[in-house]
Amino acid sequence: MSKRPDYVPEHIRERLIHDPRVAEQDLKVEVQEGRVLLGGNVATPQIRDRITEVARELLPDYQIVNETTVVPSGEPDDEEPVS
Amino acid sequence: MIRIAAVGDLHYGAGSTDILRPSLDRLPERADLLLLAGDLTRCGGTDEISVLADDLRRARLPVVAVLGNHDYQSNMEDDVRRVLEDAGVTVLEGEAVTLEINGRTVGVAGTKGFGGGFRGAHGTDFGEPEMKAFVGHTKMLADRLEQALNSLRADFRVALLHYSPIETTLEGERLEIYPFLGSYLLAQAIDNAGADLVFHGHAHHGTEKGRTPAGIPVRNVAQPVIRHAYNVYTLGTAPSAVVHPSKEAPAALRTGTGSSA
Repeated sequence: MSKRPDYVPEHIRERLIHDPRVAEQDLKVEVQEGRVLLGGNVATPQIRDRITEVARELLPDYQIVNETTVVPSGEPDDEEPVS
Repeated sequence: MIRIAAVGDLHYGAGSTDILRPSLDRLPERADLLLLAGDLTRCGGTDEISVLADDLRRARLPVVAVLGNHDYQSNMEDDVRRVLEDAGVTVLEGEAVTLEINGRTVGVAGTKGFGGGFRGAHGTDFGEPEMKAFVGHTKMLADRLEQALNSLRADFRVALLHYSPIETTLEGERLEIYPFLGSYLLAQAIDNAGADLVFHGHAHHGTEKGRTPAGIPVRNVAQPVIRHAYNVYTLGTAPSAVVHPSKEAPAALRTGTGSSA
C-alpha cells in the first residue's frame, strides 16, 4: 500500500471490493486527519459490520467511521401498470 | 394482465436469507413471474448462489434470471448457472423463454450485457486487443439479444439485462463510470427487435425509470434503487397495450431460441 495519504482511500476501496466478506463496488471512502469515513448503501447489517472490520484490519491506527446505510428490502405497497 | 416481479443485485452470500426469503411465500399472490436482473451473488461462488437457490426452490412461480458481473468473479459462472437451473430457475444468456400465464404468453429474452458507454461517447473496438475485446464483447451480446428477441412469438416481450441499455436510468451515478455501467448497443438491439418492457440492474445509485430512444419503457430494478425485495410491473392493463402476433402455440416453458453463450 502506498504511504502517501492521497492514495489511501483508493487502497481501501480496492480492498473492500476484493475482500469476499464485503465485495461492494459502490462505497464512498474519505480519509481525514486519522479518520476513515465510509459511506454508501449496503444490503444487510452484517455487510455493514464487515466493512468496518476490513477497514480496521487495513488501517488499525485510524478511527473508522462507518456511515453506510442498510437498504430496506420489504415488500412493495403497489404495482406499476406499464402498458 | 401479466404481473412481473423484478429485482437485481441481490448479492447473496452466506447469511443473506433476509433479503428475498421473507417475501417469497406471498409472492405468487402479487406476481405471475419473477425476473432476476443479475448480480445474484457477491463473488460468484457456488456456496453463495446455493443460498439463493435454496430460497428460490420455495418460490411457487416461474423464475427467470440473467447473471451479472459479480456472478463471474470466481470464473465459475457455468456452475452458478447450473445451481440455479437445478433449483428450477431459467437462466438466459443470449437466449429466450416463453411462458403461458393466464391464457397469455410472455416471452423473455435475456443477456448479462456489458459496457462501452452511450451515444456520442461510446468506446470503439479499435487499437489494443484489450479495447477490441471489451467493445467486441458488448457487440456480440447485443447481437445475441436482438436475435433472441426476434425469435419470440408471444403476446408480450420483455428484455432482461444486467447492464443498462440507456443513460436515463443511470442518473445519480458518477458520469465518469457510465461506460462501465452499460451501452447504447443494448438499446439499439432492443429497439431494432421491439419489446414491451426492459429490466436491468447494476447501477446501484441510478434511477428506476427511463425509455429507450424508440420509447420502450426501461426499469432499473437494482435492489438499492427500488429499495424493496422486488417491484411489480403489469403488462396488458392499459388500453394502449402493444400486442404482438403469435405465430406459434407456445409450450408452458420453452427455452433456447437464441444463440447460446
